[in-house]
Amino acid sequence: MSGGAQAAGRTDGGAAQRAGGAQSAARGRTAGREIADPRAGNDPEAADASGGLDRSLFRYIWRHSKRDQILICCVVLASLPLYFASLDLPRRIVNEAIQGHAFEKGNTTAKFLVLRLQMPDWFGHDVSLFDGFDVDRFELLFGLSSMFLLLVLINGAFKYWINVAKGALGERMLRRLRFQLFSLIMRFSPDALRQTKASEVATIIRDEVEPIGGFIGDAYILPAFLGTQAATAMTFILLQNVWLGLLAAGVVGVQFVVIPRLRRELLRLGRQRQLASRRLAGRVGEVVDGIAAVHSNGAEAWERAEIGHRLGGLFDLRLRIYRRKFMVKFLNNLLAQMTPFLFYCIGGYFALKGQLSIGQLVAVIAAYRDLPPPLKELIDWDQQRLDVQVKYEQVLQQFLPERLIGLDAPGRDDSLCGRLAAEGVGVQEPHGPVLAGVSLSLDLPARVAIVSDGGPAASTFARVLARRAVPTSGRITIEDRDLAEWSGAALTRRIAFAGVDPILFPGSLRDNILYGLNRRPPDSAVVDAKALAEAHRTGNPVEPFPADWTDYAQAGVADAGALDALILDWLARIGMGEEVYRFGLLGQVDPDRHPDLAARLIEARIAFRERLAAEGHAHLVEPFDPTRYNRQATVAENLLFGVPTTTALTGRALVEHPVVRLVLDRSGLADDLVTMGERIAATMLEIFRGLPSGHPLFEQFSFLAADELPEYEAILARRTATEASAERHGGGALNRIRRRWIGLGRYGSADATRLIALPLAYIEPRHRLGLIDDAFRDRVVAARGELRAALDAAGMGGVDFYDPDQVCAAAPLRDNLLFGRINQSVADAVETVTATGTALVQEMRLAPAITRVGLDHQVGPEGRFLSSGQRAVVSLVRALIRRPDLLVLDGALSPMGENRARTVLGLLLERFGHENSLVVVLPNDRVSDRFELVLRAAGTQIHGPERPAASRAAPGGGEASPGETRAGAGVAAPAAAVSGRAGDETGPEPARVEQDVKA
Amino acid sequence: MTLETEVQSLRQVPMFREVDPARLKLLAFTSERVHFADGQRFFDRGDAADAAYLILEGEAAVTLEGPQGPIRLALLGANALVGEMGILADQPRSATVTAVVPTTALRIDRRVFLELLSQFPQIAIAVMRELAHRLELTNQQLAQMRTG
Repeated sequence: MSGGAQAAGRTDGGAAQRAGGAQSAARGRTAGREIADPRAGNDPEAADASGGLDRSLFRYIWRHSKRDQILICCVVLASLPLYFASLDLPRRIVNEAIQGHAFEKGNTTAKFLVLRLQMPDWFGHDVSLFDGFDVDRFELLFGLSSMFLLLVLINGAFKYWINVAKGALGERMLRRLRFQLFSLIMRFSPDALRQTKASEVATIIRDEVEPIGGFIGDAYILPAFLGTQAATAMTFILLQNVWLGLLAAGVVGVQFVVIPRLRRELLRLGRQRQLASRRLAGRVGEVVDGIAAVHSNGAEAWERAEIGHRLGGLFDLRLRIYRRKFMVKFLNNLLAQMTPFLFYCIGGYFALKGQLSIGQLVAVIAAYRDLPPPLKELIDWDQQRLDVQVKYEQVLQQFLPERLIGLDAPGRDDSLCGRLAAEGVGVQEPHGPVLAGVSLSLDLPARVAIVSDGGPAASTFARVLARRAVPTSGRITIEDRDLAEWSGAALTRRIAFAGVDPILFPGSLRDNILYGLNRRPPDSAVVDAKALAEAHRTGNPVEPFPADWTDYAQAGVADAGALDALILDWLARIGMGEEVYRFGLLGQVDPDRHPDLAARLIEARIAFRERLAAEGHAHLVEPFDPTRYNRQATVAENLLFGVPTTTALTGRALVEHPVVRLVLDRSGLADDLVTMGERIAATMLEIFRGLPSGHPLFEQFSFLAADELPEYEAILARRTATEASAERHGGGALNRIRRRWIGLGRYGSADATRLIALPLAYIEPRHRLGLIDDAFRDRVVAARGELRAALDAAGMGGVDFYDPDQVCAAAPLRDNLLFGRINQSVADAVETVTATGTALVQEMRLAPAITRVGLDHQVGPEGRFLSSGQRAVVSLVRALIRRPDLLVLDGALSPMGENRARTVLGLLLERFGHENSLVVVLPNDRVSDRFELVLRAAGTQIHGPERPAASRAAPGGGEASPGETRAGAGVAAPAAAVSGRAGDETGPEPARVEQDVKA
Repeated sequence: MTLETEVQSLRQVPMFREVDPARLKLLAFTSERVHFADGQRFFDRGDAADAAYLILEGEAAVTLEGPQGPIRLALLGANALVGEMGILADQPRSATVTAVVPTTALRIDRRVFLELLSQFPQIAIAVMRELAHRLELTNQQLAQMRTG
């Protein structure tokens, strides 16, 4: 068997190589035939996707996996003779060995293992390969039985290989399909995006194609395998007895005709269910995205009812599916059981009449036992086929070619400098024209303001310039060349756009700022050959990932360090340097990534201590000392003497950690902690009783949550009762039973654990319950060492221990600098220590390195951990760092606040206009005189450019312009109102135009 | 020194004399104990009133800045409550308070104190009684000044 498996493995590997080679050849052909884009050659997805997905699932499967399908089918066919042999053997065992037919004519021996090549009669006689051994009856029995066992093993090995190959095939196709769908999403047209719900598309890629992938492995092979298997069994039965064979065939025929008919209704229901559950996912996604609106409108009850109604519908559908499905199952089982009944009945009749040997009957029944499972699976396959085909078509509906934009064609990559002209540019929205026949020209590089009239025209024109929107008529040219001639990749590199809603991805500040530089696939020096081959086979990208994709050249720097410096420089100029520095103080320092900073932190840590001592403030900080109890730290901190890195050691979970508990019990600390916990619980019960639950004081001060009060009260009562009883009656086993009998003795280890959890957060100087004495402190310090040894021995890790000579990577940078706890009971201690620390950081010039750590700050989902102003800064720096030829801002500055927006605009005006151009949409004329050229939106028109004269900057000029814009606003207002309702990503919204720079 | 001793100190304050010990314990527990060095300020005149202080040990001087240096209005010893009017009236500090010897005080946070007042009418009534009492004293002094 192992030999078979190995051979199978080899075949598989060979096939992989061959298929890989064929694939790349095919890719070359496709690329050559379909598009001339040279990039398509190394991007198989582009070639595939350009043709879209096949309309028929089977054609899709065949196109991408015919090689594998055929190979597996061949193996299946190869396995059939052996399978047939394994069916035939039982007959021989019974007839020849057990009943002794082989020894009938007085032979004491029979031939075993005769190998004969059967030839057609016209060819001549059979060729005998091996005449076989002479064996007696027992030897024949054992020989035949062993052969049977051997065949079982070989058949098993075949099945194993076929299953693995099938699974891999299905998974490969699933990978290809998912990747293709994802690539297609990237090409969704603005219209398609408007109609698409993110959560529904995610559901399609994640869930809905899953069964398709499962089916692909079986698409051709299962019918081939099971069909031939069933046919073999059927042939075998027919050979044994024609009547029995016909009987079986009849029942099978009924199964094949009736069952699928019954199942058709099931499919219809299944389809409904798929749509309903996809809509449910979409709806839940909508509610989660808009949860703030749900809360503020008090619509929770309505939303609950709505979802409840949907769930009810789903339940109803499922129930109807179940009813029908199990009815079909019942019928199927009934038919399957009918046949053995007929076999016993009729086959037995033939056997009694001597027309059928007992051996034949046994073999027929054994063969028939093998018949229903393949048949059932075949019927299942047929149902799955219909089901999956429907699913595939429904998925396809979402990815129709008309919903996609064309592939990026190669084109120009010229600098966007020179004469820019708009020639009759018009943009048509579903509700009417937004721009109509706009013609103007201006020379780039320049600093251009587009002053809005309150309508969407200014915004839309800015988007047209930034290629975020494509004009429906007319064109934009640069030096008389249509912008459409540029390749999309070149334009996205040369133009940067920042709108009012910055889009941030989860990750660090740095990741988000560098997002626009992630466009240079790294040279694949070290490649996992296996992964690469797999990627080739499945049409997935072959570029290495994760890897450094940063295009340093575009940012104009040599390496990551210089790039960080550049980012920090921009952030500082924009005025976010201080905030990033604070992120850095709270950030973590990985000694491997920042070895220099780590070393300097240790240095600074010592200097900090010395400085505090010199200023007479040494008592304000109690340093972490491995040999001393830190009075300003909690009991848990003193015990661990480090920062937990797993939740199993964080907070109250600590006491439930087996290693910790063992050390506590061994050192006797557990008893101390139980007593402390008891006193804490008693005090909390006393002083917090009467406060309504949910009161802020609970959260801020209490060791117990409000809803834990009754629980701890009960624990205390149990403990008191147990102790009192033990005192009165002694602690013997008999008494324990007696107490349990009367329901008293249930204070146990679970209760003790709950009590131990309380003092973990206890700090004597802060909480002042007088629970800690020197003896306890000594025991904790002793246990600290034991715990560390025990945790190390357990090899589980989970704690980053404090070490005066090492950076504690799990602790914030600030704590690493301080390496101790501030004495909170000294007035103004925090302020004093912070001032000293700040001075020290200045003196040691640590600020840049700390700020760099701040770039690792996580921005959270959609950047929610940042303020809207910070998000706007990140989005702007992301655009700036790319050094675009043309930077278009539409409302990007307004979230920053008035002062910062003014500073940033000044900065941008200073930097742009020499080599690069700047286009800013302004809500009014107040700062337009700072630009070189001013365009004015009026209704669906853009007028200009005009050069703001210095005199226009005077108050008189400033007052005149709002009148102008107001006149235009009347025309554009209705369009603005409608476009606002569309609320889509691409459509202009009045809000964006509202305020860019308030200054 | 533990919570119990602080509760004892709180009991010495006329305003809290009638309050249930459990509530005083809550008040003490939700307050911070802080040490002031000799000459360290509790607060300056004009600061926002964010807390009241109960002196547990040591002494603090109440002063106003005069043309010839600070004028000492009063010297507060153990069990004296200072700054409570500021947190009730939500007004800036009317005088400067400085520790004259190393002093330990209980810092009663304004927000927490008001929270307790709104939660426990007993404390609120005790505070009102004390304030009414003070008003009456002031009235008497005023009357004496007028007649005198």
